[in-house]
Amino acid sequence: MADSGSWRPPRPCETYHAEWKLCRSARHFLHHYYVHGERPACEQWLRDLASCRDWEERRSAEAQRSLCESERARVQAARKHTLVWALRQSPPADWHLPVPQEKDK
Amino acid sequence: MEGAGHGRGAGPSPMAGEQRQPQRQPGSCQVCPEQPADGPQQGLFSSLQTGNQSCQLMLLKTLETNPYVKLLLDAMKHSGCAINKERHFSCEDCNGNVSGGFDASSSQIVLCQNNIRNQAHMNRVVTHELIHAFDHCRAHVNWFTSVRHLACSEVRAANLSGDCSLVNEIFRLHFGLKRHHQTCVRDRAILSILAVRNISREMAEKAVDEVFESCFNDHEPFGRIPHSQTYARYAHRDFQNRDRYYSNI
Repeated sequence: MADSGSWRPPRPCETYHAEWKLCRSARHFLHHYYVHGERPACEQWLRDLASCRDWEERRSAEAQRSLCESERARVQAARKHTLVWALRQSPPADWHLPVPQEKDK
Repeated sequence: MEGAGHGRGAGPSPMAGEQRQPQRQPGSCQVCPEQPADGPQQGLFSSLQTGNQSCQLMLLKTLETNPYVKLLLDAMKHSGCAINKERHFSCEDCNGNVSGGFDASSSQIVLCQNNIRNQAHMNRVVTHELIHAFDHCRAHVNWFTSVRHLACSEVRAANLSGDCSLVNEIFRLHFGLKRHHQTCVRDRAILSILAVRNISREMAEKAVDEVFESCFNDHEPFGRIPHSQTYARYAHRDFQNRDRYYSNI
């Protein structure tokens, strides 16, 4: 996390608002139920929106802490499954080379 | 995948060793998101074939306007695999009902111009294949020697490209709601594997089931399952914001 002097919310407050609105929409309920078989949980977006606005208005340290904790939890949740493959350190060497000659026969 | 190694030295495919043919053989491409539809649906659309010029024009529109594709293009560029339309895409005629494929040996996406019905279909085929290309770019995917790796990319492509949207499944006369998306992803991944690997259905199912939890929950580069263009736009917004994001958590 950046030091408190240069820190700002990871996302603009409008983004938290947009995510909360999307999460609460009927369409999202349908999509989420179709994928997961249960209703979506949207409360955290609203909490994050409140923290974001709190920080913007008062530079609240508690709001900063809460936002960081929330976003780290999201990142952790996205990374909890072990990948099936090994990630590359560099892209494939032949990506930009011309299409191999024999493929044009 | 709609064409991991479609016949270009890609394992037990009838096209192995054969090079690019005017007509692609069934199995030379991976199974596409659009399996051969049941009779009436196929009859309705069979006349809507697409020539090379239409394919090129639709592809251009997809690359320039579709939010799923624009995010994938950005992500690939960020990973060192910038896409060049002329180099990395090829519109060709294919045999059978194949819609397209990704050829890892030539780093090229083939679009079956005679089987891509309309702009929406093009959008989805390009998205599907770019997910395979993205996986090829960011990871050591053993396309030809690991059924698990192939299964993982197919699960991701079916999950993230819109292949298994509720509307598409209804058009295929597959009715289901609660968690049906996961059923669709699993089934389509299995079909894709069977189209290009000479293995039993049991082996394909086993591979998909082994990797499913990990690969179904791997949403890169979207960060979420993009259920519609709105979700894809939000995902692209987040991707563009990633520097700010990671430096402030």
